[in-house]
Order: sequence, then structure tokens, then C-alpha cells
Amino acid sequence: MAVTAIPVVRPRKAVAGGGALARRRRRTFWPFLLPALVIYLAFFIGPALASLWISFHKWDGVGEMEPRGLQNYEILFSDDTFLAAFGNTLLILVVVGAATFAVSFGLTMVLRDMRGKRFVRAVLFFPYIISPLVLSVLWGFLFRTPEGLVNSAWAALTGGTGVNWLGDHLFGVIMIGLIWVNTGFYTTVIMAGVDRIPPDLYEDCALAGATAWQRFRHVTLPLSWDVVATAAVIWTISSLKIFEFIYAFGGNTNDMPTVTVWNSALFVYGATFGGRTPQYQFGYASASAVVTLAVITVLVVLLRRLLRREAVAF
Amino acid sequence: MRRFGIGAVWALVVFNLGVLGWMGVSALREHTAIFDTPWGLETFGQIENFVRAWSESNFGRAALNTVVLVVAASVVVVVVSAPAAYALAKSRTRLSGAMAVFFALGIGIPVQVIVIPLFVLMQDAGLVNSLSGLFVLYVALSLPFTVFLLTGFFGSLPEEVEEAAEIDGAGPIRTFVQIVLPLARNGLVTALLLNLIGLWNETFIALVFIQDSEKQTLSLSLLGFLQTQQYSGSDYGALLAGVCILVLPMLAVYVWLGRRIIEGLTVGAVK
Repeated sequence: MAVTAIPVVRPRKAVAGGGALARRRRRTFWPFLLPALVIYLAFFIGPALASLWISFHKWDGVGEMEPRGLQNYEILFSDDTFLAAFGNTLLILVVVGAATFAVSFGLTMVLRDMRGKRFVRAVLFFPYIISPLVLSVLWGFLFRTPEGLVNSAWAALTGGTGVNWLGDHLFGVIMIGLIWVNTGFYTTVIMAGVDRIPPDLYEDCALAGATAWQRFRHVTLPLSWDVVATAAVIWTISSLKIFEFIYAFGGNTNDMPTVTVWNSALFVYGATFGGRTPQYQFGYASASAVVTLAVITVLVVLLRRLLRREAVAF
Repeated sequence: MRRFGIGAVWALVVFNLGVLGWMGVSALREHTAIFDTPWGLETFGQIENFVRAWSESNFGRAALNTVVLVVAASVVVVVVSAPAAYALAKSRTRLSGAMAVFFALGIGIPVQVIVIPLFVLMQDAGLVNSLSGLFVLYVALSLPFTVFLLTGFFGSLPEEVEEAAEIDGAGPIRTFVQIVLPLARNGLVTALLLNLIGLWNETFIALVFIQDSEKQTLSLSLLGFLQTQQYSGSDYGALLAGVCILVLPMLAVYVWLGRRIIEGLTVGAVK
């Protein structure tokens, strides 16, 4: 699971200031920064720009690059595999995201004044630090037919064979699994935001006879809004990085899982290095990566706009 | 309503612990028994599962590779990031502010977007299918998050200590190494820990860049194990033993340092 966080870079005061310490800091600024900066430019910024360049070519990574203009992008938007993968990415982003946030808020409201809340939080958070590969294997065991835990429990209760989860509803199983994995993290984040709300506001609510929903709607949500907004950006970024959890479901038929459950990360892998006979369509896959990156950028900007509200001072 | 909520929360807790417990128990059972009665306990006590996973699918070699790689890369990325983060946190110019944002951008770039150029780059350098190549990539790819995390930690250190060190005549490097780093020890340990966990679980980069089985990491061994089982027949017991080999070290670290891990991972969102 990618270790994620979100840049919340605060505006700093530009102190032109004098003082020996400040002067000295200006002298050591570049020597201290340079090693990290060089690595960052070489392994992030350079490759990101190179992806854009490669996306305008046909290239297998070995031979000559053959310029193609926007052709890769044109093919991409009539490629059913890509469109399905892209659709799945958006489904994960929106459906899994909405469900995760709803469950996390629900858990937060219950956990807020519950006994053993730290223990519960620690247990719920745990999947977040386990390899998604492992979680995927375990999740698969739950839903195997007929020997999976869910279906064997079903058989014991009703005598029926139950649903062929992995065969007929694989993407649904994957989406529920992703909610399970992520809930702990987002509960913790939202809880940290909610914990900062002064308790006397809730006492006022109790005095005014507010219902649980009113309390949530008019106190909890507005006062933890900035945390929720940041968490939404984190989710947008990390949902696009999801790979292993889906990939490991390919373990039973072929090296890659069936194309109907691919997201755009699997699409890049499938078009280049993945599968029994790798495709090495570097140009084409780069185009799909560029589309993904463009979409993230637009979404993050939109989300920040949409979620920006007047901060409530308390 | 409230009672229902508490019930649901505890059900979820039981579910999480149950999955973990089931994994541990079944890793010690025979394949056919797991297949027939997944909820049962028959044939419990099969240590051989672990022996088989360890020897047959090369988990031993992979464990060694992973430990060396993950520890080395985590240490190096913290060593490279710390001075940069310190410079970004303490020099309050417009440029350093812009640089901090520039580094943070890297957190938002998914690795599949840059993997193709990285592959070409590493191929030209002769570092594909090599553990040193993987080491370089792990350091580089962990950098933006580590710089971001440490910038926050250095920013919260008091100025006075450094001023005192300066008055005492310590040079910038000496101040940094002898005064600042020990003060920021907590942040450095958290950064190290989060990188250890992230890289221990890393699969995608290893999958793309490593082909030989003796250069595999644990994640790849597990994937390979899944694949060989398609041909030679399933062996759930040994598979779950393999899963345990990946999970148990993380579980131990989590039980030991869980609060620090949770705080480190959520600090960016909450601050």
C-alpha cells in the first residue's frame, strides 16, 4: 500500500531577514537540497515529461521511435479495454470513495465517545499497512466457490451453494475489499479532525435537543470540513495508484486478471510488461498514463475548488 | 441506533481479527482440510507448510533480499531527504516555499505514469533485473513523501537551539549533524519506519524490474507461488504460510510501534 500523504504546504512568511543564522542558511540551502533535488528531477520530473513525449510515438522500447502525433490518443478513446479500465478507475474513485467516507464518518460518530476507541482504531487501521497483495489473497479466500469462507458458511446455514462471487461479481468483490482496506485510514484521519471540535459545542446541542443527524450536519461536518477536503484529495490520488489488490486476483486463470476488472494502472502494465506475452506498447501505454495523470490533476483542482469553504473558526 | 452502531463497530473489529486469526490457523493446516472445512480446526499443527513455503518457492532467499534491500533503501532515503527537508523547512524564502510544493507534487504522480521512462532509463544503465537497480528506484520513489514528512518535523523544531549553537561557534554542518538531527530523532525514526513498511509491501516496481527468481523480493515470491499453484495443484496451507511470512513482521512492528505509524501516516492530512 502506498504510503500517502498530502501536501499541505502552508504559506510562509517571506522573511528577507538579516541575522547571521539566516545568512548562513541561505549559503547552505543549495548544498543541502541538491542531492534530493537531482534524484527527484531524474526519477520523477524527467520521466513524467518523457512519458508525455513517448506518448506521441509508436515505440517498443528497443527500436526507433516512430512519431505518431495524436494517433495514440485517438486509438485510446475507441479502445474498449482502455475505456472499461478507465471506467473502473472512476468507479473505484467515486463509488468506493463515497462508501469509504460514509462508513468512516459513521465509525467516527460511534467511536467518538466509545470505550476502547484506541484499540478499535488500531484494529481497523491495520489492513492499511499490510501488503495489498496479501489482502487480496485473503479477500479472495473469503469469496472462493465452493470452499470460500462466505460460501461455506452460506452452505452450512442454508444448504445452498451460494453465489459464484469471483466468477460473476469479481469487480464488486474487489470494490468491497477496497472499502474494507481503506476505511481504517480514513476513519483515523476524520476522527483526528472531529476530535478537535470542542466538546462544549456538543453539550450545547444536547441542551437544544438536537438529533444525532442535526448534530452531525450542523456541528461535526462543518467543523471537520478542512480535514475531509484534504482526505478527499488523498483518496483521489491514492485510488489511482491501486494496482496489487486487483492484480493478485489474476492468480487463478492467467497471469493478469480478466480485463473486465482492470483499472488504468493495470492497463499500463498490461500494455507493456504484463501477461504471458508482453506487448511492449510503450507509446500507447504512455498515452494512457498521460490521460490518467491529466485526469488526476483536473480532479484534484476541481475537488479543491468544490470543497473549499469558509473555514469555521472555533 | 447508537447500540446498533457500537455493535457494527465491534463486528468489524471481530472481522478484522478473525481474518488475521484464520490466516494464522489455516497456515498450519493441510490443504485438503482447509478445502473441505475452511471453518474447521482439523489437522492443525502442520509446521511443514512453512518449511515448504520457505524452501520450495524460494521464500528464504527472497526474505534475505527483501530485508537487505528495504533496510538499505529506507536508511539511504532518510539520509538524502533529511538535509533537503531541513533546508526547505528553515530557509523561509519564496524559493524554498515553491520548492517544497514542487517536491510534494511527486506524491501525486502515480508510479505507473513514470514506469516506462524509468524502465528505459534503467535499461540504459544496465540496472534492469538487478537488486542494485531496485535499490536505486526504491530510494528515488520514496523521496517525495520522505521530504514532505521531514519538512514538517524540522519546521516544528525550536529556533533557539540553533542560534545557541551558532553563538558557540558551531559551523552549519556541525549544527545540523550534532544539534538538529538528534532533536529531530523522532521524526527521522518515523520516516524510517514508514519507508520500511511501504517498501516491504512494494510489488509493482519489483514486478516490472526483476525477472530472475534468485533476485525476487517476498512479494514476488508470493506471486510466483500463486502462479506455480496453477500448474502443480493448489496448496492452500503452504500459500497461507507464505502469506504469514509477509504479514507477521509487519504485524510485530505494528503491535510494537502502532501509534507512531498511525500518526506518521495521517499527519499530512490532519495538520
